[in-house]
Amino acid sequence: MSFRSLSRPNARSGMGVADESKTTFHELQRKKTHRYVVFKIDESKNEVVVEKTGNPAESYDDFLASLPDNDCRYAVYDFDFVTSENCQKSKIFFFAWSPTTSHIRAKVLYSTSKDQFRRELHGIHYEIQATDPTEVDLEVLRERAN
Amino acid sequence: MMELSETYACVPSTERGRGILISGDSKSDTILYTNGRSVVMLDLNNPLKVSIYGEHAYPATVARYSPNGEWIASGDVSGTVRIWGAYNDHVLKKEFKVLAGRIDDLQWSADGLRIVASGDGKGKSLVRAFMWDSGSNVGEFDGHSRRVLSCAIKPTRPFRIVTCGEDFLVNFYEGPPFKFKLSSREHSNFVNCVRFAPDGSKFITVSSDKKGIIYDGKTCEKLGELSPEDGHKGSIYAVSWSPDGKQVITVSADKSAKVWDMSENGSGTLNTTLNCPGSSGGVDDMLVGCLWQNDHIVTVSLGGTISIFSASDLDKSPFQFSGHMKNVSSLAVLKGNTDYILSGSYDGLICKWMLGRGFSGKLQRTQNTQIKCFAAHEEEIVTSGYDNMISRISYKDDQCTNEEAIDIGNQPKDLSLAPLSPDLLLVTFESGVVFLRDGKVVSTINLGFTVTALAVTPDGTEAIVGGQDGKLHLYSVSGDSLTEEAVLEKHRGAISVIRYSPDLSMFASADLNREAVVWDRVSREMKLKNMLYHSARINCLAWSPNSSMVATGSLDTCVIVYEVDKPASSRMTIKGAHLGGVYGLGFADDSHVVSSGEDACIRVWSLTPQ
Repeated sequence: MSFRSLSRPNARSGMGVADESKTTFHELQRKKTHRYVVFKIDESKNEVVVEKTGNPAESYDDFLASLPDNDCRYAVYDFDFVTSENCQKSKIFFFAWSPTTSHIRAKVLYSTSKDQFRRELHGIHYEIQATDPTEVDLEVLRERAN
Repeated sequence: MMELSETYACVPSTERGRGILISGDSKSDTILYTNGRSVVMLDLNNPLKVSIYGEHAYPATVARYSPNGEWIASGDVSGTVRIWGAYNDHVLKKEFKVLAGRIDDLQWSADGLRIVASGDGKGKSLVRAFMWDSGSNVGEFDGHSRRVLSCAIKPTRPFRIVTCGEDFLVNFYEGPPFKFKLSSREHSNFVNCVRFAPDGSKFITVSSDKKGIIYDGKTCEKLGELSPEDGHKGSIYAVSWSPDGKQVITVSADKSAKVWDMSENGSGTLNTTLNCPGSSGGVDDMLVGCLWQNDHIVTVSLGGTISIFSASDLDKSPFQFSGHMKNVSSLAVLKGNTDYILSGSYDGLICKWMLGRGFSGKLQRTQNTQIKCFAAHEEEIVTSGYDNMISRISYKDDQCTNEEAIDIGNQPKDLSLAPLSPDLLLVTFESGVVFLRDGKVVSTINLGFTVTALAVTPDGTEAIVGGQDGKLHLYSVSGDSLTEEAVLEKHRGAISVIRYSPDLSMFASADLNREAVVWDRVSREMKLKNMLYHSARINCLAWSPNSSMVATGSLDTCVIVYEVDKPASSRMTIKGAHLGGVYGLGFADDSHVVSSGEDACIRVWSLTPQ
């Protein structure tokens, strides 16, 4: 009996990841030079590139404002919070932003490339898949992080 | 932060031709009754103090306090009995599936250890008695062949159980473990209620054959009857003993309640007849339930009016209040000399409520048509139902004067009043709009798309029509026709409600796809979007008087209040505002929201700014 079918991963699109994306992520993770990074798929170059970064002084609302209403994106956000035991902690969230109002072509492209891209980013604590603004509410982050 | 400030409770749900059984706790002076899936606990001394339990999955039928006042056992139409705590969070203790059909009556034994439930069981098991904590049976109850309408346990030793039902029989069981002893067929019609005297020496059965028969509590021998002269002229639906066991109250379909004196040898003579004042005539005054608790005599009418008489002073007129029995589908807040709230339910009942006081009156209507849409302004109410008519009612105090119905030729879907432009009323139907001025149809315009919602400015110059496809069409009103100005596309579902802000600078629209949007009226741009926090269709929308807040109510039982100047994520949510869905919303003032819903209750919430 072949068990290969049980562990077959989701469809892949063969998208590449630009080096710049990886280095920007490392900067966020190690050197804390960015609060958030928004990634976009560049179809001409067939890879994931950095669209925008935010400096550490920016807030969560600024981050949400940089997510487009009608197109998909990937994003990482460095979330600072205080736990119930009064510990200052910081966790990295990965967002797969795919609003329902975006084009179906974009949604398929981003969802098939997600696994490949995530494999390149080591050190993500939580992943959030969001299809509308209510799913990226600050409350959602607070509930997930502990 | 939103907190519950007041609840205007629903009234017991009643059915023509049947009595209802209400019960209470003499220590805390509360009464218990059911409506839909809720069990309502009402404080007799302060009817505004209400507690509602909504955990039944099926419509609840009867509820009783345990003798020690700590637990409440309630039964529903599926035959399930739930035993839960009377205070605080109403924690569930146990749930038992007792009968195969609906439970009609439920009684605790005096020691609080056993419960007997009777009802409809499709042949076998029409009555069951069980231990309250383990559910194990304490007797065999054969002897009935039809629905058992009532049961009672003798409060003193030796224990007896009496049951009575639709097969005209009164059955007597001895125990525990309870076994059939004898059966009595004195009545010639449904036996509606059986109750033991508080000392257990006698019990009385009342029936639809207008008779009340008194039996000995130990031997079940017939002792006497309620005297037939001055007796009831209609079916007697319920009976209740006074706390001292010397008097009994009965209520009947002849719209009166009678207090009888019980003599030692077991016959009853009439003491007084109580008539409920303020009756409108008609079926709604038939009395279907009663309870004698401490000094209060409570009677419930078919229309849902609860009258509380004082037992020591029977001639004093009772304190009466009422409410809705069915889904309150529309709400309007009216300001005048006094601010009051008008609520309309789909069965055509319109009630008036005052903040802080509660029930303030029922609108007596001459034609009780059903209400689907409702608009109110100062002294005029416009309603539309499920036929082709629009009803305009002008009223003063509680009397409806000048009620007229206008046929508009199509079933109305939504309506909007423009009070400043003299008498303009716009009504939408499936494919267009009808203009009414002065109560007459002046034009019917076919718009070419399926219309679902409508709003018009108070001065009657601009109207917005929402369609099935989610598009908002803005029109300017000139004379009796509409000129299309713009079409706004944002919603992804049929529009359910549109409202202008009180200062007319903005309007808000909500759709069936759970989304609401606030638009700027002049620029027609979205002012506040991403109001997507409901999980089911949005039914109603309201603006605060200062135009700074918008509240949305949805089928998912939540009410969410957004501030127009802040992002949608900083919102205040009330979860579980009304069991079954929120259908009506209004702002009483800038810090109070009024909501109404499927559970026939109206709640006032106070907003504390963060």
